[in-house]
Amino acid sequence: MDPECSRLLPALCAVLADPRQPVADDTCLEKLLDWFTTVTAAGSSLLLLQENPCLVELLFRVLKSQDLSSRILSFSLRLAGIFAAQEDCFQYLQGELLPMLFGEVGPLGGAAWTAPAVRSGWIQGLRTLAQHPSALRFLAACGAVDTIFSLQGDSSLFVASAAGQLLVHILDLAMRGPARGRCSPQACDWPACAQKIVCHIEDSLCSIATPQVTQALNVLTTVFGHCRGLWTQGLWVRLSPLVARLLEKDPVPASHSLVDLLLSVARSSVPSSDRGLWETLAQTLSHLSPTQAGPLALGILKLQDCPQALRTQAFGILLQPLACVLEAAAQAPGPPGLLGGAAGDPMTADTLLCSKSACVGLLCCALTHLGLLQPLPQRPSPWPQAPLLGAAVTVLRLCSGSVAPTSDVGGRLCAILVGCGRVQRAALDFLGALSQGAGPQESVTQVFSVLLEYLMSPESSSMVLKKAFQATLRWLLSSPKTPGCCDLDPRTQLFLRELLPVLQKRLCSPCWEVRDSGLEFLTQMTRHCGGQAGFRQALLASEVPELTKQLLQDPESYVRASAVTATGQLSSWALLAAPASPERPGAQQKSLLVELLHVLCADSEGFPRRAVMQVFTEWLRDGHADVAEDPERFVARVLQAASRDPDWEVRAQGLELALVFLGQLLGPRGSHCPCAVALPETAPPGTLAQALPEAAPPGTLAQALQVLCRVQLFEFAFRALFDCDRPVAQKSCDLLLFLRAKAAPCGSPQEAGDSPNVASVEATLQRWQAGEQGQPLGYLEPGAVMAVLRSIDLEGLRDTLAESSDHVEKSPQSLLQDMLAAVGVLGENEADCY
Amino acid sequence: MPEIRVTPLGAGQDVGRSCILVSIAGKNVMLDCGMHMGFSDDRRFPDFSYITRSGRLTDFLDCVIISHFHLDHCGALPYFSEMVGYDGPIYMTQPTQAICPILLEDYRKIAVDKKGEANFFTSQMIKDCMKKVVAVHLHQTVQVDDELEIKAYYAGHVLGAAMFQIKVGSESVVYTGDYNMTPDRHLGAAWIDKCRPNLLITESTYATTIRDSKRCRERDFLKKVHETVERGGKVLIPVFALGRAQELCILLETFWERMDLKAPIYFSTGLTEKANHYYKLFIPWTNQKIRKTFVQRNMFEFKHIKAFDRAFADSPGPMVVFATPGMLHAGQSLQIFRKWAGNEKNMVIMPGYCVQGTVGHKILSGQRKLEMEGRQVLEVKMQVEYMSFSAHADAKGIMQLVGQAEPENVLLVHGEAKKMEFLKQKIEQEFRVSCYMPANGETVTLPTSPSIPVGVSLGLLKREMAQGLLPDAKKPRLLHGTLIMKDSNFRLVSSEQALKELGLAEHQLRFTCRVHLHDTRKEQETAVRVYSHLKSVLKDHCVQHLPDGSVTVESILIQAAAHSEDPGTKVLLVSWTYQDEELGSYLTSLLKKGLPQAS
Repeated sequence: MDPECSRLLPALCAVLADPRQPVADDTCLEKLLDWFTTVTAAGSSLLLLQENPCLVELLFRVLKSQDLSSRILSFSLRLAGIFAAQEDCFQYLQGELLPMLFGEVGPLGGAAWTAPAVRSGWIQGLRTLAQHPSALRFLAACGAVDTIFSLQGDSSLFVASAAGQLLVHILDLAMRGPARGRCSPQACDWPACAQKIVCHIEDSLCSIATPQVTQALNVLTTVFGHCRGLWTQGLWVRLSPLVARLLEKDPVPASHSLVDLLLSVARSSVPSSDRGLWETLAQTLSHLSPTQAGPLALGILKLQDCPQALRTQAFGILLQPLACVLEAAAQAPGPPGLLGGAAGDPMTADTLLCSKSACVGLLCCALTHLGLLQPLPQRPSPWPQAPLLGAAVTVLRLCSGSVAPTSDVGGRLCAILVGCGRVQRAALDFLGALSQGAGPQESVTQVFSVLLEYLMSPESSSMVLKKAFQATLRWLLSSPKTPGCCDLDPRTQLFLRELLPVLQKRLCSPCWEVRDSGLEFLTQMTRHCGGQAGFRQALLASEVPELTKQLLQDPESYVRASAVTATGQLSSWALLAAPASPERPGAQQKSLLVELLHVLCADSEGFPRRAVMQVFTEWLRDGHADVAEDPERFVARVLQAASRDPDWEVRAQGLELALVFLGQLLGPRGSHCPCAVALPETAPPGTLAQALPEAAPPGTLAQALQVLCRVQLFEFAFRALFDCDRPVAQKSCDLLLFLRAKAAPCGSPQEAGDSPNVASVEATLQRWQAGEQGQPLGYLEPGAVMAVLRSIDLEGLRDTLAESSDHVEKSPQSLLQDMLAAVGVLGENEADCY
Repeated sequence: MPEIRVTPLGAGQDVGRSCILVSIAGKNVMLDCGMHMGFSDDRRFPDFSYITRSGRLTDFLDCVIISHFHLDHCGALPYFSEMVGYDGPIYMTQPTQAICPILLEDYRKIAVDKKGEANFFTSQMIKDCMKKVVAVHLHQTVQVDDELEIKAYYAGHVLGAAMFQIKVGSESVVYTGDYNMTPDRHLGAAWIDKCRPNLLITESTYATTIRDSKRCRERDFLKKVHETVERGGKVLIPVFALGRAQELCILLETFWERMDLKAPIYFSTGLTEKANHYYKLFIPWTNQKIRKTFVQRNMFEFKHIKAFDRAFADSPGPMVVFATPGMLHAGQSLQIFRKWAGNEKNMVIMPGYCVQGTVGHKILSGQRKLEMEGRQVLEVKMQVEYMSFSAHADAKGIMQLVGQAEPENVLLVHGEAKKMEFLKQKIEQEFRVSCYMPANGETVTLPTSPSIPVGVSLGLLKREMAQGLLPDAKKPRLLHGTLIMKDSNFRLVSSEQALKELGLAEHQLRFTCRVHLHDTRKEQETAVRVYSHLKSVLKDHCVQHLPDGSVTVESILIQAAAHSEDPGTKVLLVSWTYQDEELGSYLTSLLKKGLPQAS
């Protein structure tokens, strides 16, 4: 422990034990416990207590105090647990203190026990303490296990849950003893403590009270999920008949917890020894209602190894609701549907029709579960892609009311589902997931048609539209390409031509969420298909690019930011406007650069300005035509705007752009000497390096530095080095280190360590570091820059900046000081809101 | 038994991380989804594992409602919706929807980028989360689904803050969020109608406090700022981007104008424009005075308050600077503080609560030698002032709201246990209602008796009207009919209509009883005696002696017969329909007492 902390500790303990001194901030005690956990993990707890007797004294005083707050009592119980986790320290405390804290004579029997915080502290203290055999004996001696049993039914969720966890921990600890191999199901050779817990679980499983059954099932779920010993197999053999007996009850009690338990057992080592488990799972599937059975069916299908018959049964459960929908909506008997022609389960059909909430719940579960299953390698094979597509489309049509089933059941389903946003969202997600598999042409046409219907419908809510755009994107990106070329197939092209007018309309939506989702869709489409002739043709024939540009003036900043990204992407693929006139090639494109620069300088909100910086960085990296025309001027203008920006994320992004520029000028990270980089050959087309030869002969550091000085990159970077926002300073530090590493080995032809400029630069930087940033740096000579770079302790600065910005305030010493300082001035800083 | 269940995951006997689960008539609603700024790990968010245990979040929860934009009420929202996986609707007012992302974004930057914390949401997540929001207007009833509806009421506190009524059928809960019962400079007072909810969940931050007039605090604030500026000092006011900052800006602007002061006032990082833009947008949410004067002069267009540039901090002479963030966590406010702390002429005014682990917390607890990076010690010589401008209802205000809403039960959240205990007793005594104060994780269960709506047929009503009695809401009276349950609907119709609708034939059910009388006379004479007796006793009823010798009283039929074994005894056969059950029982007991002797 830090000597300063050790010095402060007695005073703090005195404050904590004083009931007249309430603790200032409810997080302080938690943080104090965190610190003690760290301290004891690093060294001996016994030594800690011996060196700091105030700690044991605190625990004694807490016990003696009558009117101490429940928070301090809870803290003390947890603290004692932390110390007693080490066996020697446990022995040290065992004589008097631990029984008084955790036994009948302690808080357990007093009025304080009514506070959930105290009960929680008692459990957490024991949980931390129970790490060694001595602890087990202590638990048995003080009768703690019975108390834990009763706390399983505590009125506080937190306490009840922690009690269950503690039982599992104790059971595991007891069974982890020496030479415990595979235990017999009778468990006659199990330790007494474990036997007691298992008997309690057995009693609970036989109880007629559902909460008790739930508690037992939850404990067992944790056992099979976390305990790895062979004894768990013996435990299952012993308890599985009781679990199976639950299935005989109608309704099955605690079905949700039962499902969790069975899946937990199925994922453990039990199945290798007990094949009867599969039968229990099969029985459970058939006993539970369709809604309850869904999660179990999904869990079974996710298992790596399980009998085929069970998988088939489970898959059937997931398919049932959709099969019923298909059956109900069928105009005439069609080809065998999802269940190979077998009739739909009447129970599923009943659930679908009994009430709206049951129907919506069941359908959403089925759609979500199948959607989760779709991408998994262990999904059932053959996967009924076509009927599933048909079912998803049918559900969506029932929801939109665009299908009118003739059957009575179909009519009732339609009445329930029409306009139901929840099912629409789930079905669209599922439809999107299905894009990963191929489907017959007819099905895909139906998919495109229903997506278009949703995108066009005035009834679609903004969330439904967002999902519809996402599903459309997935289908478009997965659509097959025309054989022999990389272009979209004719059907997709046709769809695109129909889609773009709809997108156009959505970009004019009064709802910002819709405009934004439309722009996000357009950006993604362009990113992936910008080079495909069919897409280009359809897009250029529409008004979408023009509208996108107009959205740069949208009143909503999120939309402006998305418009910036979308136009940036469109421009990268030369898709923003009709070909410019021959007299002024690229005139339109240039105007976008100007417009985005205007956004960067003038937009009052950060999102659009950040988006501009990202677009510009991408343009510079990819050699966008407008940038390539005069990269130096481009970088200079952008850095000038970014350096003045009030949003530090824009400034940080400015440094990112500067780093790309440096990389292009001096070669990528890793290659040391820029002199070795043959710029024109290595640089991507359209980048600065290609343009550079016109300005200066390539490959010399001096030239590169001259360029950097001209674009005022150093002024920006040096100022950023002392930015009040840590990430900006960090990025600048990285950039300057990169530059120094690149430049240093080569030396500079104009070494200027003694240049008069250097002293003034250094003086200015010192003032900046002190926080006086008003003075400009002025024009810098490359030589002076290099000299200054060498004189700054960049490594030291980097290490300082690597620390979190509040590392001093977060230190234990600071915590102790704060807690002590807060004594008596509580009213000054009372928790209200922020 | 129908019930309402409430479980706070946060704000149960504490302040910070408000998150309350309400289950009402089978619908599950989450009220607020806040974060605790005092933690930098998972503990900053409510423990959602207790909900995910019930299956998929979107299947379990019907909606999330956010009361206002403070981070202790909405800070965990992007985490909950984009990382934990809630995909359902989120309801909040329009100003909250507009302002939430700004504050979330500010805090995200502090947490992730400055402090390097992990497992935090991204900007894209904030946007995606905001797209799930459905904006609600005040007093507009929003139908979440066929059964669940919500309605927002004005809460004061901050711009866009609302109280929400959640209603399913006849059961309802009102959640106040944070509210203020007295108007301030830019916001009005909270108001709710007499909605008589089954449960009112109210904040109780100032459960035991009767707060002094805000005017005093304002005067004090202005005095301190003025004195500092007059002696050439600089004043730093660390604030969050929106909320309190605007209130203090209006205060200073007006004072500067009145006193004709020249010292500059700055607002850092371009937030004035953004904030004022939002405040202008939501003028209808501000108080009456601002709304009225808005046409002549927009109070949010400040003449004296200018955007701050980093270089200004070094300028000589007095000035006032509003800088973010509010607790001196990091960034600009901290940088300015460091620069000015050494000069005793300067002053820092903390207008709100600071969590432990911030420089704000340190100076408020009186620490004057602060360790900075690299073991440097910063000596704080500047004056440190704390002035809470937080706008919560005090004890009087809370009682006022309870009186206004007239709930059947009250549940306290967002306050300290000891203070809650005091208020709980006060509420129980004064309003004679049960008051609860669950800790986090504790569930309060309230049984309810739901009223089930029943439609009454026009025919039945007309028949009732024909009897000449006009309906009176204050005087309930009996209406006989047949209750038909069909297609989850209840209808009360006349028996005839019910028979017709259901295609059933009428069956008459009569109750019968035998009464033995000692009477040696003939049966006919006994019948006459019965008739005379009943005629004299039942003066208001129609008693008839029929030609076949039987006696009737309304639907009750009485026949006399000889006893098969005892000629001195007569048997009276009494029968009646269920409609006259009361009268039938009365007659039977009357006859059992025997007939009066003939005079």
